[in-house]
Amino acid sequence: MSGGAFRIRQIDLGSPDADVDAGDTPSLSIFWWKDLPLGMRASLPDELPYTEARLRQLAAEFSAAQLAARSIRLGAPLRATYEGCPKSVLSLTAALDAKDLVGCLDELATASSAPAQHVSVVICTRDRGPALAQCLQSIARQRSAPGEVIVVDNSRDANAWPVCIHFPDIRYVHEPRPGLSAARSAGIRASRRDIIAFTDDDVEVHPGWTAEIARAFAEWDVEALTGLVLPARLDTIAQRRFQFDMGGFGATFVPLIFDQRFFEETRPSGAHVWKIGAGANMAFRRSAFDRVGSFDERLGAGAAGCSEDSELWYRLLATGGACLYEPRAVVFHHHRRDWPGFRRQMKAYMKGHVAALVAQYDNFGDRGNIDRIWKQLPAYFVRTFVKTLFEGPPGRIGILAAEVQGWLAGLQFLLRFGWRKRRTSNWLRKTR
Amino acid sequence: MGYKIVDVELSSPLAPIELGPQQDGVGLIARWQNRLVGFEMITLPTTGVLSAERLRSIADQRFAPRILVAKMEEELRRRRPVAEPALPSLSIAICTKDRAERLSRLLASLDDIRRKSAFPFVEILVVDNASADSATREAVQRFKDIRYVLEPRAGLDFARNAAVRSATGSMIAYLDDDVVVDRNWLEGLAKVCRDHPGAGGFTGLVLPLRLDTEAQIFFEQRGGFGRGFNRNEFHNARFDNPLHPVGSGILGAGCNMAFDRTLLLSLGGFDEALDTGAPLPGGGDLDIFYRVLRSGRSMVYEPEYAVYHEHRETIDQLRRQYWTWGLGMMAFLVKSRRTDAALRARHRAMVRWWFFDRLKALARAVRKLQGRDFGFAIAELWGGIHGLAGEYDRSRVRVQAIRELNQ
Repeated sequence: MSGGAFRIRQIDLGSPDADVDAGDTPSLSIFWWKDLPLGMRASLPDELPYTEARLRQLAAEFSAAQLAARSIRLGAPLRATYEGCPKSVLSLTAALDAKDLVGCLDELATASSAPAQHVSVVICTRDRGPALAQCLQSIARQRSAPGEVIVVDNSRDANAWPVCIHFPDIRYVHEPRPGLSAARSAGIRASRRDIIAFTDDDVEVHPGWTAEIARAFAEWDVEALTGLVLPARLDTIAQRRFQFDMGGFGATFVPLIFDQRFFEETRPSGAHVWKIGAGANMAFRRSAFDRVGSFDERLGAGAAGCSEDSELWYRLLATGGACLYEPRAVVFHHHRRDWPGFRRQMKAYMKGHVAALVAQYDNFGDRGNIDRIWKQLPAYFVRTFVKTLFEGPPGRIGILAAEVQGWLAGLQFLLRFGWRKRRTSNWLRKTR
Repeated sequence: MGYKIVDVELSSPLAPIELGPQQDGVGLIARWQNRLVGFEMITLPTTGVLSAERLRSIADQRFAPRILVAKMEEELRRRRPVAEPALPSLSIAICTKDRAERLSRLLASLDDIRRKSAFPFVEILVVDNASADSATREAVQRFKDIRYVLEPRAGLDFARNAAVRSATGSMIAYLDDDVVVDRNWLEGLAKVCRDHPGAGGFTGLVLPLRLDTEAQIFFEQRGGFGRGFNRNEFHNARFDNPLHPVGSGILGAGCNMAFDRTLLLSLGGFDEALDTGAPLPGGGDLDIFYRVLRSGRSMVYEPEYAVYHEHRETIDQLRRQYWTWGLGMMAFLVKSRRTDAALRARHRAMVRWWFFDRLKALARAVRKLQGRDFGFAIAELWGGIHGLAGEYDRSRVRVQAIRELNQ
């Protein structure tokens, strides 16, 4: 990998002269067809600029995947299967009969103009004034204004207040109890609309974000939605490592439905709910919280680590619900800039992941969660270690060490019976 | 045992495929409107017939997505027509030694398509690489408009260089004598030339010509020479592969490649110490791909520029081929390490990666108790060790002797 900073380029393959501004710096190119995100590709200066033929070919490959996933005539929608890989149900007849593919793609790429009055946007923040200001500015630029915007300040001394007063119409909630889950729950309690969309303070959202969320919930009978999380900047090594070596927020560009089939297929190895999406870009119907309860306050940043989002999806799926991954809802995430911060993050991710596995096991008794802690994660560590020795990027061992530390730190939750007795929420006690 | 190779046009109604006696599978070459979209090997141990339904379900899974991509590409091409640059003049070079029968087969397949080509000028050169008798010359004489060039110094890269020197086209396409070209071979090459006018070279798809013996089936099942059905562009550096361009084998194979002839001349042609027949029969293609990329020009892999290759018939020959792969790869790395100081770290990493990868293959063979796989893996590893242990230098000495002998 090149040492230089990566430029992030947005390329609209639907317009001619898509790549006039090629530049000679390493780039991550994010390809769009108008407002529809199609795919991305990292390239070194040697590979740039993309030739006309190359762009045409990329456009053809990306858009064929979009058509197969979105066009009902071609067999869509896709349902997630094991490993989160969509299984195409495209048939030869449908492929042979398909006509005017570009027109069809244009139609799919039409930006949503659905009103977002019934959407509450909840942003939880802690001690990140400047980033929050950027986030709120991006919310203010939404094509369809949300019904309300709630900032939940999770800092001890209410330091987000001076930022929020610059933005009219924002509802400010101070939740000093530490933990992202507690903050999100406070946001849910304060919100008054039917759909609650969450994003984080280190995110800038796409202008169509709320409109796409509104459209998706209007079209689909699902309780939850996640969206595409793209990197906002790739200036530092830590940011690039997170994006490229750790897969970033693992973004696929085709919509997927995570339902019972996905849950049952992955259940033996602990239901791979973390593949559903990221907490930085998710939304729920209010009724989902009434049905399965709120975020587990033992999990999440500020408590056991992360994974409070995936644990909630686990509860949704385990009780018959479904979640839609809709990449048209786009946010741009600012990854950690500095290396120590990045390592702390990777450690917290693993710790939170293990804690969530324990919580899921306690809630539903699926042995796969424990197997994942004891078998699959250690196997992953060994595999990564051996692979890194021979062919890995430098620095990967350091990340791996942080992950192992996180795993060890997570193991304590298996032994802390007081922690486990608390269970997830009142809802579970009610239903058992 | 054996696979029946069948060419299926997916845009016409699908019919069941009946196998002949002693055939227990189908090698399915799929086309959509004459364009290659896929290749699948399907085993049918008992039934003897591939039903239309089964064929359809394979087409649904494997070929339908490719058809969609091809359709989309054509629509985009129609909607945004670009000025198409003129095609260069083309020389087709076939280097051969003592294989008159196969050579005739290849020339016959070329004869069918050369007349219909879009290239303004096409010449065919046969370089007779020190054949023992006159059969090669006689085979050439049976066809019209073919130039015969004699290269008395034995060694594939001697012959390839003789071809560069005597060719007149501004582009030169190489074919080995054990292939047959696809009916769209020239069209595929023309298309990729028009789309990538600045490229330094092109490689193409290699499909199996026959799958009659155990060795041929086995080789194809392990991936063969195929590089898939997506066009791919290669440059001097690649983001997703930090070892690139040292692992230039991913570009394609020497039995189907084409270059800008001026570029080849400026690079000094092929390395004659690689691909020198019996002692070191390999690595010449890796080396030239690598040097083209290092010169800053790109190379493009094009699936429609396809040939059919006759794979090794016996297990012994195949084992020897794996041995030469290891040998050629390491000889190429030793040479590149010496001549290209800037990428030494990558050459070293590639050697490490290669041995790690081969040892993994060996471990897999042991675990699955597959003696034959084990034999192939050992052969390749042993070839690699041999290649590291001075084979390139020994070959250079031999090549020098051949040069002196023929002066």
